[in-house]
Amino acid sequence: MATAKAKSRVARNLIVLWTVCVLAFLYIPMVAIVLASFSKARYFRFPVPRWTTQWYDKAMDSLSIRDLLWTSLSVATLVTVFSVALAFMGALAFARYDWKGRKLYQRLVLLPIFFPQAVLGLALLLWFSALGITTSWHTAVFAHMVWIVPIVILIMSIQVYSFDPSLEEAAYDLGASRFQVLREVTLPILAPGVISGGIFAFLLSWGNFPLSLFSTGADQTVPEWLYSKMVMGYTPMVPTLGSLTMSGAAILIFLFYMVWMIIKSRQSRA
Amino acid sequence: MDETQGAFLELRKVTKKFGNFTAVDEVDLVIAEGEFFTLVGPSGSGKTTMIRLLVGMDQPTGGDINLKGVRLNDVPANKRPTCMVFQDLALFPHKSVGENIEFPLKISGVAPDKRRQRAEQLLKQLRLPVDYYSKGVNQCSGGERQRIALARALAFDPDILFFDEPLSALDFRLRKTLEKELKDIHRETGKTFVYITHSLEEAMVMSDRIGIMRDGKIVQIGTPAAIYNDPINRFVAQFMGEVNTLEVESAGKNTVQDIASGARFKVRAMPDGFTKGALIIRPESVKIGQSAAKLPNRVKGTVYNDYALGSRVQYQVRSETGDMQWLVERLQDEPFDGKAGDKVTLGWQTEDSILVGD
Repeated sequence: MATAKAKSRVARNLIVLWTVCVLAFLYIPMVAIVLASFSKARYFRFPVPRWTTQWYDKAMDSLSIRDLLWTSLSVATLVTVFSVALAFMGALAFARYDWKGRKLYQRLVLLPIFFPQAVLGLALLLWFSALGITTSWHTAVFAHMVWIVPIVILIMSIQVYSFDPSLEEAAYDLGASRFQVLREVTLPILAPGVISGGIFAFLLSWGNFPLSLFSTGADQTVPEWLYSKMVMGYTPMVPTLGSLTMSGAAILIFLFYMVWMIIKSRQSRA
Repeated sequence: MDETQGAFLELRKVTKKFGNFTAVDEVDLVIAEGEFFTLVGPSGSGKTTMIRLLVGMDQPTGGDINLKGVRLNDVPANKRPTCMVFQDLALFPHKSVGENIEFPLKISGVAPDKRRQRAEQLLKQLRLPVDYYSKGVNQCSGGERQRIALARALAFDPDILFFDEPLSALDFRLRKTLEKELKDIHRETGKTFVYITHSLEEAMVMSDRIGIMRDGKIVQIGTPAAIYNDPINRFVAQFMGEVNTLEVESAGKNTVQDIASGARFKVRAMPDGFTKGALIIRPESVKIGQSAAKLPNRVKGTVYNDYALGSRVQYQVRSETGDMQWLVERLQDEPFDGKAGDKVTLGWQTEDSILVGD
């Protein structure tokens, strides 16, 4: 008995140790970036010799960095709006309605996800030039959507699959118009899926590098800038801007979590 | 003209085809205002398709559906003065009990305080606590959800309320309670109820009239008593639950012969042109022991087993020739203390012989 207990305690400790190792492996690089952004040294050394927030002040003052953030934000916001609208319909076609050719659609629409992004970016660039379209952050919105819309369709479809179509029929039968059915029943019930799809769309666009590289033309997003500065002309602004984009994403996820909890508690109020 | 007298809902040759498959086949039906009408049929008999045509979820491929003299065929479900309680109830999970009940009122633009008033009134009418108004529907029990669905339908104030087997998922005791409650609500509201189910037993408890459906046609319509006492054919008879069935052929005036044993039995009346069919005797019509001795139709057998059914006792008796199992029921206090292995005589009155053609 005693040995069995001791054994299970050892096993438990090993599991805890393993989990800590995995988490450390995942998060130490990110923590290192944040530490580097607060280091006075021009190159990252550990332990940090002297602390400073001067890089943040500089980042805030820099017009070019404001431009970068603004471009990234514009791309990600537009991608989110269009992707959610398109993917909502796409997810209904994917999971809600039975129609001829649905099986084929389900396969084809997901293919871009598995396409190497660099190749996809190159292909899109070739298309843009063939069509005589000058690439800029506008074309990047389109390029991102080619890859992101299928992902958002997949995410929303999970929610749509669990949607009971008889709810729509019941609302319709009780006198609601098609629009009222959508507003009163379909949208509110699918809202968690729509919101998480939107969050994914934003974050995937916000952090995307390969598609942006080929499709932004003269404009630059934050990930592109980070890469180009790493290749040549490293400054401590790189970890600073990196930390800023990371915390932006973290705040968004946190807000999403709050919204999620509110929706959940409203749906299961006692 | 006589037929349409008092016609509230009238179906004329209503047909629904899916490709080559005919789900509903030229059905004629007249339902009177305030009636509780039930369609009974096995799955695949077309009863679900039928109710979907009537509420407007599907359009018939032929025939007319008239309500109060107005043709409904092309009126979409949301414009029809009818509504349905779904099999899975289809309560909106993101809305509270009160919001669910109020839904049709919200759609038609009734002011919030008026809506709430009506919702609370309906909660009371359906024997639900008024403070359930703000409760989540997923916190409610099966029976409560049933009542909420009915309250929501009543809030719509339809001319006809349709029910698509809403009680089928509930346990036996709750179902029995709700069947009676539904009949009470029918009486209190005076509305026309059209109910579908696969259970004749359930239909008999509630309905004014019952229609039995098979292969897209209504094969028999009548009061519960008429259906129970005079099933028109073997198919309808099968819905009566556990019965004794003998394959028989005609053997002279009001007499039939059991094909297996050659025994002859008296029947009430033989349909014209009857040659072969089934003789049906309900377990409760069969007497056992002493009380069977003087009855016109008798069979000898051996008690194989007995089953207590609460107020009644059921016996399984195997006939002497060994080719027939009989189910016999008697009330708990009727005298007979047979046990397994006893030789007994079974008997029944001529009027309890139900003869149906194939």
